[in-house]
Amino acid sequence: MAAIGIENLVKAYGATPVIHGVSLAVRDGEFAVLVGPSGCGKSTLLRMIAGLESVTGGEIRIGDRLVNDLPPRERDIAMVFQDYALYPHKSVAENIGFGLKMRGADAATIDRKVQEAAQILQIGHLLGRKPGQLSGGQRQRVAMGRAIVREPKVFLFDEPLSNLDAHLRAEMRAEIKKVHQRFGTTIIYVTHDQVEAMTLADRIAILRGGHLEQFDTPDTIYRRPVSTFVAGFVGSPAMNFIAATAAPDGAGVRLPGGVDLAAPEPLRQRIAGVAGKAVTMGLRPEHIGLHAGGGPAVPGRVLLVEPLGAETLALVRIGDVEATGRFSPESGLRPGADIALGLQLDRAHVFDPDTGRTLTAPA
Amino acid sequence: MSTIKHRLTPLERSERRLGFAMLAPAFLLLAAVVVYPIADLIRASFTFLHLAQPWMGNPFVGFDNYAKALGDERFLEAVWHTVLYVIVTVPGAVVVGLGLALLANKPFTIKWPVRLGLLLPWALPLVFSGLIFRWFFEYNQGIANAILRGLGFAPLNWLTDPTLAFLTICLAIIWKASSFVALVLLAGLQTIPKSYYEAAEVDGASAWQQFREITLPMLRPAIFVALIFRTITAIQTFDIPYAMTNGGPGNATETLAMYIHKTTVDFLDIGYGSALAVLMFIVSAVITSGYLRYTRRDPGRH
Repeated sequence: MAAIGIENLVKAYGATPVIHGVSLAVRDGEFAVLVGPSGCGKSTLLRMIAGLESVTGGEIRIGDRLVNDLPPRERDIAMVFQDYALYPHKSVAENIGFGLKMRGADAATIDRKVQEAAQILQIGHLLGRKPGQLSGGQRQRVAMGRAIVREPKVFLFDEPLSNLDAHLRAEMRAEIKKVHQRFGTTIIYVTHDQVEAMTLADRIAILRGGHLEQFDTPDTIYRRPVSTFVAGFVGSPAMNFIAATAAPDGAGVRLPGGVDLAAPEPLRQRIAGVAGKAVTMGLRPEHIGLHAGGGPAVPGRVLLVEPLGAETLALVRIGDVEATGRFSPESGLRPGADIALGLQLDRAHVFDPDTGRTLTAPA
Repeated sequence: MSTIKHRLTPLERSERRLGFAMLAPAFLLLAAVVVYPIADLIRASFTFLHLAQPWMGNPFVGFDNYAKALGDERFLEAVWHTVLYVIVTVPGAVVVGLGLALLANKPFTIKWPVRLGLLLPWALPLVFSGLIFRWFFEYNQGIANAILRGLGFAPLNWLTDPTLAFLTICLAIIWKASSFVALVLLAGLQTIPKSYYEAAEVDGASAWQQFREITLPMLRPAIFVALIFRTITAIQTFDIPYAMTNGGPGNATETLAMYIHKTTVDFLDIGYGSALAVLMFIVSAVITSGYLRYTRRDPGRH
């Protein structure tokens, strides 16, 4: 096991930089998830940690060892690839034992460790088969077996679940979490799926265009996003962003279409510094619902209803703003109906409309 | 599947007729240029047909021509030379071709010199390659002897010493054939996903281990294809020894195909030559079917 220290890491292909000075300290035994849209550099970052891509600038440390120029095999890591990279001409047992064999382990040790790993992953009955005879989920388990059998300091996962269907993905997510709890090995995991990131990670690193946006616990990422990008990336349905104006006296906000809302105390503090200016207000769907006393009622019109069983999502219009809210399935919403909405403005986020950075996050 | 014969609907029957009609031109062409000549070759091999002895006519002689072949020392020598060419040039071309393919598969920034080097020998006509190597090894002007002289050694009789002539011809054949082998193997190499090598790299495999554990087993089907093609063309070896030594010295480098050519074109003994050609055809067919059976039985294939 080992901590991973990334200091000011830069990657450029020729004159084109793709990672612009990322710093990231992953603790020993931590499950860190790198997440972001395609092209954000998350896979490149992972491959640099693995040693499959060269380092243009900065430092990568595994434990207390600087590994910048070490070949992958000397970094004591194991990696699970997106396509699993199982050798089609080798049996499952040979695939799992490959790393041990290459490092010159004796046949008895290889056999024992392969059996152990197969036991943990419940693939003992598949050891004699070829990868071509396995289902997607089974291949995924074999790929994980190949990684755990070597007992490396760090596991690297490169979008390991993206080739599975939704049901299997949930199952394998639990399996990966179990492996982490059992071995306690440091894991760096790349995905573009925010649900995977939220459910698996101790801490999530959100990348955008080769820059690190935020690196924090799932809870903090969700509740205190540092930018509109992070706020919009995490959470489903996504946060509503509303182009609003802070009242000159700082006592409220005006929405497009002339709807004036009084700001409760926490929001009043957040907009104190931008009185009279345009802001981007962020409000999660769970903070838009039917008016139930407390704050003032805001008139709205239902545009679209999406019943999901446990809850009902609805697109509503408030003044000139369209926003998604979460409602109880019993609320009986109909498209076209005029309703009284309750907005939990004390939970609203306020962002700078030009930079997208948060002005102050709610606690 | 039902065992009851499926009755065709009128539409299906008309579709089938159209299908046959569209295949007919290709079938007729193949019949004219492949099936008929082979059938006539087999017929001729059972007759006496010597263009220098027209008064003898074209009588049926049964297996006389085949019996004559088994007692013909020059024929047996030509067979032996052909076998030697196969034994030396098939593995030789595959090993050199594999090396070239691995080289060409490297991520060079400038790809054209490698590609040109790979394609040029393949694109050259066989006779032309033979002539090039003949000039290389020519006694007085050739580059091989020029180098030997430059290094202070005595020049060698490259093309007139039986053993050296055989070796230089093998060298020319390997040079010429390895580029085709390399093209086949390069196509095979490019189907191996890069992540296999990355996974092996992370798992601690050295370059040699990656070659042995991944490249070679995954290239097996392509190597078999290359072996089959190379063996068939090696059995038919003609142009390069024809251009380099014309079978000489004596008939020390003469192949089966060259002897058949001499028998029919130079000696005008069509009947006997046909019998020899049929024998060569049988040998090729037997070796090819052996290869095919082996690949089909191979459990490593997917």
